Amino acid sequence: MIQLFQVYKNFGSKNPALLDINLTVKKGEFVFITGPSGAGKTTLLKIIFCAERPTSGNVLVHGRNLNRIKERDLSLLRRRIGVVFQDFKLLPRRNVFENVALALEIIGFPLPMIRKKVHQTLRYLSLTNKEGYYPPQLSGGEQQRVAIARAIVNNPLILLADEPTGNLDPDLTMEIMALLKEIHIRGTTVLVATHSKELLKGTTRRIVTLNKGRIV
Amino acid sequence: MGNIRENRLVHLIGIGTMSIAFLIFYAFILVFVNINYWTEKQGKTLSMSIYFKEEPDSAVIENIKKELFVFPGVTVKQFVSKDDAMKSLRRKLGEKAGLLDGLKQNPLPASLEITLSRDKGGDNLPYQLKKRLEKSSVVDEVHYTQEWIKKFQAIMEVIKIVGVIFGGLLFLAALFIITNTIKLTIYSRKEEIEILKLVGATNCFVKIPFMIEGSIQGLLGGAVALFALFLAYIIAITRIDISIGFASFNIVFLSPYIILFLLLMSVIIGFIGSTISLGRFF
Repeated sequence: MIQLFQVYKNFGSKNPALLDINLTVKKGEFVFITGPSGAGKTTLLKIIFCAERPTSGNVLVHGRNLNRIKERDLSLLRRRIGVVFQDFKLLPRRNVFENVALALEIIGFPLPMIRKKVHQTLRYLSLTNKEGYYPPQLSGGEQQRVAIARAIVNNPLILLADEPTGNLDPDLTMEIMALLKEIHIRGTTVLVATHSKELLKGTTRRIVTLNKGRIV
Repeated sequence: MGNIRENRLVHLIGIGTMSIAFLIFYAFILVFVNINYWTEKQGKTLSMSIYFKEEPDSAVIENIKKELFVFPGVTVKQFVSKDDAMKSLRRKLGEKAGLLDGLKQNPLPASLEITLSRDKGGDNLPYQLKKRLEKSSVVDEVHYTQEWIKKFQAIMEVIKIVGVIFGGLLFLAALFIITNTIKLTIYSRKEEIEILKLVGATNCFVKIPFMIEGSIQGLLGGAVALFALFLAYIIAITRIDISIGFASFNIVFLSPYIILFLLLMSVIIGFIGSTISLGRFF
Protein backbone atom coordinates (compact mmCIF):
# COMPACT_ATOMS: atom_id res chain seq x y z
CA MET A 1 0.00 0.00 0.00
CA ILE A 2 2.79 2.45 0.95
CA GLN A 3 6.43 1.99 -0.07
CA LEU A 4 9.34 4.37 0.51
CA PHE A 5 12.73 3.70 -1.08
CA GLN A 6 15.84 5.55 0.07
CA VAL A 7 13.87 8.70 0.80
CA TYR A 8 15.80 11.83 1.77
CA LYS A 9 14.27 15.15 2.64
CA ASN A 10 16.34 18.24 3.20
CA PHE A 11 14.77 21.64 3.92
CA GLY A 12 18.10 23.34 3.35
CA SER A 13 19.49 23.10 6.84
CA LYS A 14 22.62 21.17 7.85
CA ASN A 15 20.65 18.21 9.17
CA PRO A 16 18.21 16.56 6.77
CA ALA A 17 14.66 16.01 8.03
CA LEU A 18 14.66 12.46 6.65
CA LEU A 19 17.62 10.21 5.83
CA ASP A 20 17.57 7.01 3.84
CA ILE A 21 14.04 5.98 4.76
CA ASN A 22 13.00 2.56 3.52
CA LEU A 23 9.56 1.57 4.66
CA THR A 24 6.76 -0.69 3.46
CA VAL A 25 3.27 -0.59 4.94
CA LYS A 26 0.97 -3.37 3.80
CA LYS A 27 -2.72 -3.01 3.04
CA GLY A 28 -4.80 -3.13 6.23
CA GLU A 29 -1.83 -2.59 8.56
CA PHE A 30 -1.91 -0.35 11.65
CA VAL A 31 1.46 1.31 12.15
CA PHE A 32 2.67 3.72 14.79
CA ILE A 33 5.40 6.16 13.69
CA THR A 34 7.10 7.34 16.81
CA GLY A 35 10.11 9.29 17.95
CA PRO A 36 10.95 12.51 19.76
CA SER A 37 9.85 15.93 18.53
CA GLY A 38 11.79 16.87 15.39
CA ALA A 39 12.51 13.25 14.50
CA GLY A 40 10.78 13.61 11.12
CA LYS A 41 7.38 11.99 11.82
CA THR A 42 5.31 14.83 10.37
CA THR A 43 7.63 15.18 7.36
CA LEU A 44 7.24 11.46 6.68
CA LEU A 45 3.44 11.71 6.71
CA LYS A 46 3.57 14.86 4.57
CA ILE A 47 5.64 13.00 1.99
CA ILE A 48 3.12 10.15 1.93
CA PHE A 49 0.21 12.50 1.11
CA CYS A 50 2.44 14.61 -1.10
CA ALA A 51 2.27 17.85 0.86
CA GLU A 52 6.08 17.68 0.59
CA ARG A 53 8.21 16.17 -2.15
CA PRO A 54 11.25 14.08 -1.20
CA THR A 55 14.65 15.57 -2.05
CA SER A 56 15.58 12.15 -3.39
CA GLY A 57 14.20 8.63 -3.35
CA ASN A 58 10.89 7.16 -4.46
CA VAL A 59 7.51 6.96 -2.78
CA LEU A 60 4.78 4.62 -3.99
CA VAL A 61 1.28 5.00 -2.61
CA HIS A 62 -1.44 2.66 -3.81
CA GLY A 63 0.81 1.76 -6.74
CA ARG A 64 1.43 5.37 -7.82
CA ASN A 65 4.95 6.81 -7.88
CA LEU A 66 4.56 10.22 -6.29
CA ASN A 67 7.61 11.56 -8.13
CA ARG A 68 5.85 11.11 -11.45
CA ILE A 69 2.26 11.80 -10.48
CA LYS A 70 0.35 14.50 -12.36
CA GLU A 71 -1.50 17.30 -10.55
CA ARG A 72 -4.93 15.90 -11.45
CA ASP A 73 -4.00 12.35 -10.36
CA LEU A 74 -2.58 13.73 -7.14
CA SER A 75 -5.98 15.21 -6.25
CA LEU A 76 -7.60 11.85 -7.00
CA LEU A 77 -5.03 10.03 -4.85
CA ARG A 78 -5.51 12.44 -1.94
CA ARG A 79 -9.21 11.61 -1.96
CA ARG A 80 -8.23 8.03 -1.06
CA ILE A 81 -6.04 9.21 1.82
CA GLY A 82 -7.71 10.60 4.91
CA VAL A 83 -5.49 12.92 6.92
CA VAL A 84 -5.97 14.03 10.52
CA PHE A 85 -3.72 17.02 10.94
CA GLN A 86 -1.93 17.90 14.15
CA ASP A 87 -3.56 21.35 14.08
CA PHE A 88 -6.88 19.88 12.78
CA LYS A 89 -6.97 22.25 9.77
CA LEU A 90 -10.70 22.86 10.04
CA LEU A 91 -12.23 25.79 8.19
CA PRO A 92 -13.27 28.24 10.91
CA ARG A 93 -16.04 29.85 8.86
CA ARG A 94 -17.71 26.53 8.03
CA ASN A 95 -19.69 24.64 10.60
CA VAL A 96 -19.08 21.01 11.60
CA PHE A 97 -21.45 19.64 8.97
CA GLU A 98 -19.88 21.77 6.21
CA ASN A 99 -16.33 20.89 7.27
CA VAL A 100 -17.08 17.18 7.05
CA ALA A 101 -19.12 17.57 3.86
CA LEU A 102 -16.13 19.27 2.19
CA ALA A 103 -14.39 15.94 1.56
CA LEU A 104 -17.47 14.72 -0.35
CA GLU A 105 -18.22 18.00 -2.12
CA ILE A 106 -14.84 17.98 -3.84
CA ILE A 107 -15.54 14.49 -5.16
CA GLY A 108 -18.83 15.73 -6.55
CA PHE A 109 -21.23 13.61 -4.50
CA PRO A 110 -24.90 14.62 -4.90
CA LEU A 111 -26.29 16.63 -2.00
CA PRO A 112 -28.69 13.96 -0.61
CA MET A 113 -25.81 11.46 -0.54
CA ILE A 114 -23.57 14.04 1.17
CA ARG A 115 -26.22 14.62 3.86
CA LYS A 116 -26.64 10.89 4.44
CA LYS A 117 -22.93 10.09 4.69
CA VAL A 118 -22.09 13.13 6.84
CA HIS A 119 -24.92 12.34 9.28
CA GLN A 120 -23.78 8.72 9.48
CA THR A 121 -20.18 9.76 10.20
CA LEU A 122 -21.16 12.40 12.75
CA ARG A 123 -23.34 9.84 14.53
CA TYR A 124 -20.43 7.37 14.51
CA LEU A 125 -18.21 10.00 16.15
CA SER A 126 -20.93 11.20 18.56
CA LEU A 127 -21.01 14.65 16.99
CA THR A 128 -24.65 14.75 15.86
CA ASN A 129 -25.57 17.48 18.34
CA LYS A 130 -22.63 19.63 17.22
CA GLU A 131 -23.22 19.74 13.49
CA GLY A 132 -24.25 23.40 13.42
CA TYR A 133 -21.33 24.53 15.58
CA TYR A 134 -18.28 26.33 14.21
CA PRO A 135 -14.78 25.03 15.07
CA PRO A 136 -13.92 27.90 17.46
CA GLN A 137 -17.03 26.95 19.49
CA LEU A 138 -15.76 23.38 20.02
CA SER A 139 -13.35 21.88 22.54
CA GLY A 140 -10.00 20.41 21.40
CA GLY A 141 -11.36 16.86 21.60
CA GLU A 142 -14.44 17.78 19.57
CA GLN A 143 -12.34 19.51 16.94
CA GLN A 144 -10.15 16.41 16.77
CA ARG A 145 -13.22 14.23 16.20
CA VAL A 146 -14.46 16.60 13.46
CA ALA A 147 -11.03 16.30 11.81
CA ILE A 148 -11.32 12.51 11.99
CA ALA A 149 -14.86 12.65 10.63
CA ARG A 150 -13.66 14.66 7.63
CA ALA A 151 -10.80 12.22 7.10
CA ILE A 152 -12.98 9.09 7.09
CA VAL A 153 -16.28 10.29 5.61
CA ASN A 154 -15.37 9.11 2.10
CA ASN A 155 -14.04 5.72 3.29
CA PRO A 156 -10.37 6.28 2.44
CA LEU A 157 -7.96 3.44 1.79
CA ILE A 158 -5.35 5.02 4.03
CA LEU A 159 -5.75 7.11 7.18
CA LEU A 160 -2.80 9.24 8.31
CA ALA A 161 -3.08 10.76 11.76
CA ASP A 162 -0.45 13.23 12.94
CA GLU A 163 -0.36 13.40 16.76
CA PRO A 164 -4.11 12.77 16.94
CA THR A 165 -4.09 12.84 20.73
CA GLY A 166 -1.49 15.59 21.06
CA ASN A 167 -3.39 18.01 23.26
CA LEU A 168 -6.03 15.72 24.71
CA ASP A 169 -6.58 14.44 28.26
CA PRO A 170 -6.17 10.69 28.94
CA ASP A 171 -9.91 9.91 28.63
CA LEU A 172 -10.21 11.66 25.27
CA THR A 173 -6.95 10.05 24.14
CA MET A 174 -8.42 6.59 24.80
CA GLU A 175 -11.60 7.58 23.01
CA ILE A 176 -9.75 8.80 19.89
CA MET A 177 -7.50 5.71 19.86
CA ALA A 178 -10.53 3.45 20.12
CA LEU A 179 -12.00 5.26 17.12
CA LEU A 180 -8.84 4.82 15.06
CA LYS A 181 -8.78 1.11 15.90
CA GLU A 182 -12.41 0.79 14.83
CA ILE A 183 -11.64 2.52 11.53
CA HIS A 184 -8.77 0.08 11.07
CA ILE A 185 -11.04 -2.90 11.72
CA ARG A 186 -13.26 -1.64 8.88
CA GLY A 187 -10.32 -2.24 6.51
CA THR A 188 -8.47 1.07 6.40
CA THR A 189 -4.66 1.14 6.52
CA VAL A 190 -3.80 3.41 9.44
CA LEU A 191 -0.56 5.29 10.18
CA VAL A 192 -0.42 7.19 13.45
CA ALA A 193 2.45 9.55 14.20
CA THR A 194 2.92 10.12 17.93
CA HIS A 195 5.64 11.05 20.37
CA SER A 196 3.55 9.74 23.30
CA LYS A 197 5.10 6.69 24.94
CA GLU A 198 1.89 6.20 26.93
CA LEU A 199 0.00 5.55 23.75
CA LEU A 200 2.35 2.75 22.75
CA LYS A 201 2.33 0.94 26.07
CA GLY A 202 1.23 -2.65 25.63
CA THR A 203 0.38 -2.22 21.94
CA THR A 204 0.76 -5.20 19.65
CA ARG A 205 0.83 -2.96 16.57
CA ARG A 206 3.92 -2.39 14.48
CA ILE A 207 6.02 0.52 15.69
CA VAL A 208 8.42 2.43 13.43
CA THR A 209 10.78 4.63 15.43
CA LEU A 210 12.42 7.67 13.92
CA ASN A 211 15.33 9.56 15.37
CA LYS A 212 17.03 12.52 13.72
CA GLY A 213 15.39 11.60 10.43
CA ARG A 214 16.44 7.93 10.42
CA ILE A 215 14.50 4.76 11.14
CA VAL A 216 16.09 3.14 14.18
CA MET B 1 -21.64 35.77 -3.16
CA GLY B 2 -21.48 33.79 0.08
CA ASN B 3 -17.74 34.24 0.24
CA ILE B 4 -18.05 37.97 -0.51
CA ARG B 5 -20.54 38.29 2.36
CA GLU B 6 -18.26 36.30 4.69
CA ASN B 7 -15.19 38.43 3.92
CA ARG B 8 -17.18 41.64 3.74
CA LEU B 9 -14.48 44.06 4.87
CA VAL B 10 -11.71 42.68 2.65
CA HIS B 11 -14.06 42.71 -0.32
CA LEU B 12 -15.36 46.21 0.41
CA ILE B 13 -11.79 47.52 0.49
CA GLY B 14 -11.07 45.56 -2.67
CA ILE B 15 -14.11 46.87 -4.52
CA GLY B 16 -13.34 50.42 -3.33
CA THR B 17 -9.78 50.25 -4.63
CA MET B 18 -10.93 48.73 -7.90
CA SER B 19 -13.57 51.44 -8.30
CA ILE B 20 -10.94 54.17 -8.01
CA ALA B 21 -8.72 52.44 -10.57
CA PHE B 22 -11.68 51.99 -12.93
CA LEU B 23 -12.89 55.56 -12.34
CA ILE B 24 -9.59 57.05 -13.52
CA PHE B 25 -9.69 54.87 -16.62
CA TYR B 26 -13.37 55.57 -17.35
CA ALA B 27 -12.94 59.33 -16.82
CA PHE B 28 -10.22 59.25 -19.44
CA ILE B 29 -12.53 57.37 -21.81
CA LEU B 30 -15.33 59.89 -21.18
CA VAL B 31 -13.05 62.83 -22.04
CA PHE B 32 -11.80 61.03 -25.11
CA VAL B 33 -15.30 60.09 -26.28
CA ASN B 34 -16.50 63.68 -25.83
CA ILE B 35 -13.66 65.22 -27.79
CA ASN B 36 -14.17 62.69 -30.56
CA TYR B 37 -17.95 63.15 -30.59
CA TRP B 38 -17.65 66.91 -30.69
CA THR B 39 -15.20 67.07 -33.58
CA GLU B 40 -17.25 64.52 -35.51
CA LYS B 41 -20.40 66.57 -34.98
CA GLN B 42 -18.79 69.86 -35.86
CA GLY B 43 -17.11 68.38 -38.86
CA LYS B 44 -20.34 67.06 -40.40
CA THR B 45 -22.22 70.34 -40.60
CA LEU B 46 -20.19 73.43 -40.89
CA SER B 47 -21.42 76.86 -39.82
CA MET B 48 -20.52 79.90 -41.85
CA SER B 49 -21.11 83.57 -41.04
CA ILE B 50 -21.11 86.14 -43.83
CA TYR B 51 -20.51 89.61 -42.39
CA PHE B 52 -21.69 92.63 -44.35
CA LYS B 53 -19.94 95.98 -44.59
CA GLU B 54 -23.23 97.88 -44.17
CA GLU B 55 -26.75 96.84 -43.19
CA PRO B 56 -27.92 95.19 -46.44
CA ASP B 57 -31.39 95.66 -47.89
CA SER B 58 -33.55 92.65 -48.82
CA ALA B 59 -32.49 92.79 -52.50
CA VAL B 60 -28.82 92.41 -51.51
CA ILE B 61 -29.67 89.49 -49.22
CA GLU B 62 -31.67 87.82 -51.97
CA ASN B 63 -28.79 88.23 -54.42
CA ILE B 64 -26.37 86.65 -51.96
CA LYS B 65 -28.83 83.82 -51.34
CA LYS B 66 -29.12 83.17 -55.09
CA GLU B 67 -25.37 83.06 -55.30
CA LEU B 68 -25.22 80.62 -52.37
CA PHE B 69 -27.79 78.19 -53.70
CA VAL B 70 -25.56 77.44 -56.67
CA PHE B 71 -23.45 75.42 -54.26
CA PRO B 72 -24.71 71.99 -53.11
CA GLY B 73 -25.60 71.37 -49.46
CA VAL B 74 -26.00 75.05 -48.52
CA THR B 75 -28.81 75.96 -46.10
CA VAL B 76 -29.54 79.53 -45.10
CA LYS B 77 -30.27 79.62 -41.38
CA GLN B 78 -31.01 83.26 -40.63
CA PHE B 79 -30.20 86.85 -41.35
CA VAL B 80 -28.96 88.73 -38.30
CA SER B 81 -29.36 92.50 -38.60
CA LYS B 82 -27.10 94.94 -36.74
CA ASP B 83 -29.91 95.47 -34.21
CA ASP B 84 -30.43 91.74 -33.75
CA ALA B 85 -26.70 91.29 -33.18
CA MET B 86 -26.76 94.03 -30.55
CA LYS B 87 -29.83 92.53 -28.85
CA SER B 88 -28.18 89.15 -28.81
CA LEU B 89 -25.02 90.64 -27.31
CA ARG B 90 -27.04 92.44 -24.64
CA ARG B 91 -28.77 89.19 -23.78
CA LYS B 92 -25.46 87.42 -23.46
CA LEU B 93 -23.97 90.15 -21.28
CA GLY B 94 -27.02 90.08 -18.99
CA GLU B 95 -26.48 92.42 -16.05
CA LYS B 96 -23.38 93.90 -17.64
CA ALA B 97 -25.32 95.00 -20.73
CA GLY B 98 -25.17 98.56 -19.40
CA LEU B 99 -21.58 98.71 -20.64
CA LEU B 100 -22.94 99.00 -24.17
CA ASP B 101 -24.99 102.12 -23.38
CA GLY B 102 -21.98 104.35 -23.90
CA LEU B 103 -21.64 103.39 -27.56
CA LYS B 104 -22.62 106.16 -29.97
CA GLN B 105 -23.30 103.79 -32.83
CA ASN B 106 -23.76 100.05 -33.20
CA PRO B 107 -20.36 98.59 -34.17
CA LEU B 108 -21.66 95.09 -34.78
CA PRO B 109 -21.99 93.97 -38.40
CA ALA B 110 -25.09 92.41 -39.92
CA SER B 111 -24.57 88.82 -40.93
CA LEU B 112 -26.09 85.90 -42.75
CA GLU B 113 -25.76 82.56 -40.96
CA ILE B 114 -25.58 79.51 -43.19
CA THR B 115 -24.67 75.86 -42.80
CA LEU B 116 -22.90 73.58 -45.24
CA SER B 117 -23.23 69.83 -45.39
CA ARG B 118 -19.80 68.25 -45.60
CA ASP B 119 -21.24 65.11 -47.18
CA LYS B 120 -22.65 66.95 -50.20
CA GLY B 121 -20.26 69.79 -50.77
CA GLY B 122 -16.87 68.17 -50.39
CA ASP B 123 -13.93 69.35 -48.35
CA ASN B 124 -12.99 72.22 -50.65
CA LEU B 125 -16.43 73.88 -50.76
CA PRO B 126 -16.10 76.20 -47.75
CA TYR B 127 -12.86 77.61 -49.06
CA GLN B 128 -14.27 78.20 -52.56
CA LEU B 129 -17.37 79.81 -51.10
CA LYS B 130 -15.38 82.07 -48.81
CA LYS B 131 -13.14 83.21 -51.68
CA ARG B 132 -16.13 83.94 -53.92
CA LEU B 133 -18.16 85.79 -51.29
CA GLU B 134 -15.27 87.93 -50.14
CA LYS B 135 -14.95 89.27 -53.69
CA SER B 136 -18.42 90.79 -53.34
CA SER B 137 -18.47 94.55 -52.65
CA VAL B 138 -21.10 94.22 -49.91
CA VAL B 139 -19.38 91.43 -47.95
CA ASP B 140 -16.78 92.36 -45.39
CA GLU B 141 -15.60 89.01 -44.02
CA VAL B 142 -16.55 85.32 -44.08
CA HIS B 143 -15.84 83.08 -41.10
CA TYR B 144 -16.36 79.36 -40.86
CA THR B 145 -15.66 76.75 -38.22
CA GLN B 146 -13.80 74.31 -40.43
CA GLU B 147 -10.68 76.44 -40.45
CA TRP B 148 -9.92 75.66 -36.87
CA ILE B 149 -11.70 72.29 -36.82
CA LYS B 150 -9.13 71.14 -39.40
CA LYS B 151 -6.37 72.21 -37.07
CA PHE B 152 -8.25 70.62 -34.22
CA GLN B 153 -8.64 67.38 -36.15
CA ALA B 154 -4.90 67.24 -36.68
CA ILE B 155 -4.50 67.66 -32.94
CA MET B 156 -7.14 64.93 -32.45
CA GLU B 157 -5.04 62.52 -34.49
CA VAL B 158 -2.16 63.15 -32.08
CA ILE B 159 -4.55 62.91 -29.11
CA LYS B 160 -5.82 59.57 -30.47
CA ILE B 161 -2.31 58.12 -30.57
CA VAL B 162 -1.46 59.55 -27.15
CA GLY B 163 -4.88 58.32 -25.97
CA VAL B 164 -4.23 54.76 -27.04
CA ILE B 165 -0.83 54.77 -25.29
CA PHE B 166 -2.11 56.57 -22.19
CA GLY B 167 -5.31 54.47 -22.12
CA GLY B 168 -3.23 51.32 -22.48
CA LEU B 169 -1.00 52.37 -19.60
CA LEU B 170 -4.04 53.24 -17.48
CA PHE B 171 -5.54 49.87 -18.35
CA LEU B 172 -2.35 48.12 -17.24
CA ALA B 173 -2.24 50.20 -14.06
CA ALA B 174 -5.88 49.28 -13.32
CA LEU B 175 -5.10 45.63 -13.99
CA PHE B 176 -2.06 45.81 -11.70
CA ILE B 177 -4.04 47.44 -8.87
CA ILE B 178 -6.92 45.00 -9.32
CA THR B 179 -4.64 41.96 -9.45
CA ASN B 180 -3.04 43.03 -6.20
CA THR B 181 -6.39 43.77 -4.60
CA ILE B 182 -7.71 40.34 -5.52
CA LYS B 183 -4.41 38.85 -4.34
CA LEU B 184 -5.15 40.35 -0.93
CA THR B 185 -8.59 38.74 -0.78
CA ILE B 186 -7.16 35.42 -1.92
CA TYR B 187 -4.29 35.74 0.54
CA SER B 188 -6.80 36.19 3.36
CA ARG B 189 -8.10 32.73 2.43
CA LYS B 190 -4.73 31.11 1.81
CA GLU B 191 -5.35 28.52 4.53
CA GLU B 192 -8.68 27.53 3.05
CA ILE B 193 -7.05 26.97 -0.35
CA GLU B 194 -4.34 24.86 1.28
CA ILE B 195 -6.90 22.72 3.15
CA LEU B 196 -9.02 22.24 0.05
CA LYS B 197 -5.99 21.03 -1.88
CA LEU B 198 -4.88 18.72 0.92
CA VAL B 199 -8.25 17.00 1.09
CA GLY B 200 -8.10 16.30 -2.64
CA ALA B 201 -9.78 19.25 -4.37
CA THR B 202 -8.72 19.67 -7.97
CA ASN B 203 -7.22 22.99 -9.05
CA CYS B 204 -10.41 23.81 -10.96
CA PHE B 205 -12.56 23.16 -7.87
CA VAL B 206 -10.47 25.66 -5.90
CA LYS B 207 -9.89 28.20 -8.66
CA ILE B 208 -13.36 28.56 -10.18
CA PRO B 209 -15.05 30.16 -7.12
CA PHE B 210 -12.17 32.67 -6.88
CA MET B 211 -12.46 33.47 -10.57
CA ILE B 212 -16.21 34.00 -10.22
CA GLU B 213 -15.54 36.10 -7.13
CA GLY B 214 -12.94 38.18 -9.01
CA SER B 215 -15.39 38.71 -11.87
CA ILE B 216 -18.15 39.81 -9.47
CA GLN B 217 -15.69 42.12 -7.73
CA GLY B 218 -14.73 43.54 -11.13
CA LEU B 219 -18.38 44.05 -12.07
CA LEU B 220 -19.21 45.77 -8.76
CA GLY B 221 -16.04 47.90 -8.93
CA GLY B 222 -16.87 48.90 -12.51
CA ALA B 223 -20.51 49.66 -11.66
CA VAL B 224 -19.51 51.85 -8.68
CA ALA B 225 -16.96 53.68 -10.86
CA LEU B 226 -19.54 54.29 -13.60
CA PHE B 227 -22.04 55.55 -11.04
CA ALA B 228 -19.44 57.94 -9.58
CA LEU B 229 -18.55 59.10 -13.09
CA PHE B 230 -22.24 59.69 -13.86
CA LEU B 231 -22.60 61.80 -10.72
CA ALA B 232 -19.53 63.81 -11.72
CA TYR B 233 -21.05 64.22 -15.20
CA ILE B 234 -24.35 65.51 -13.76
CA ILE B 235 -22.45 68.05 -11.67
CA ALA B 236 -20.35 69.04 -14.69
CA ILE B 237 -23.30 69.67 -17.01
CA THR B 238 -25.22 71.71 -14.45
CA ARG B 239 -22.30 73.86 -13.32
CA ILE B 240 -19.92 74.15 -16.24
CA ASP B 241 -20.67 75.90 -19.53
CA ILE B 242 -18.00 75.20 -22.07
CA SER B 243 -17.89 76.98 -25.39
CA ILE B 244 -15.14 76.95 -27.93
CA GLY B 245 -15.29 79.68 -30.56
CA PHE B 246 -18.95 80.04 -31.47
CA ALA B 247 -19.64 76.34 -31.19
CA SER B 248 -20.93 75.36 -27.77
CA PHE B 249 -19.58 72.16 -26.24
CA ASN B 250 -22.26 69.83 -24.90
CA ILE B 251 -20.76 67.13 -22.66
CA VAL B 252 -22.31 63.79 -23.47
CA PHE B 253 -22.21 60.75 -21.19
CA LEU B 254 -21.05 57.36 -22.36
CA SER B 255 -23.51 55.60 -24.65
CA PRO B 256 -25.30 52.45 -23.37
CA TYR B 257 -23.09 50.36 -25.67
CA ILE B 258 -19.92 51.83 -24.20
CA ILE B 259 -21.31 51.36 -20.67
CA LEU B 260 -22.06 47.71 -21.44
CA PHE B 261 -18.62 47.31 -22.98
CA LEU B 262 -16.93 48.87 -19.93
CA LEU B 263 -18.92 46.69 -17.52
CA LEU B 264 -17.98 43.63 -19.54
CA MET B 265 -14.37 44.81 -19.50
CA SER B 266 -14.56 45.21 -15.69
CA VAL B 267 -15.71 41.60 -15.43
CA ILE B 268 -12.89 40.48 -17.73
CA ILE B 269 -10.29 42.49 -15.76
CA GLY B 270 -11.63 40.96 -12.52
CA PHE B 271 -11.41 37.51 -14.08
CA ILE B 272 -7.89 38.06 -15.45
CA GLY B 273 -6.83 39.63 -12.14
CA SER B 274 -8.01 36.67 -10.11
CA THR B 275 -6.44 34.21 -12.56
CA ILE B 276 -3.07 36.00 -12.31
CA SER B 277 -3.36 36.21 -8.51
CA LEU B 278 -4.18 32.52 -8.20
CA GLY B 279 -1.07 31.63 -10.16
CA ARG B 280 1.16 31.79 -7.10
CA PHE B 281 -0.91 29.25 -5.21
CA PHE B 282 -0.87 26.57 -7.92
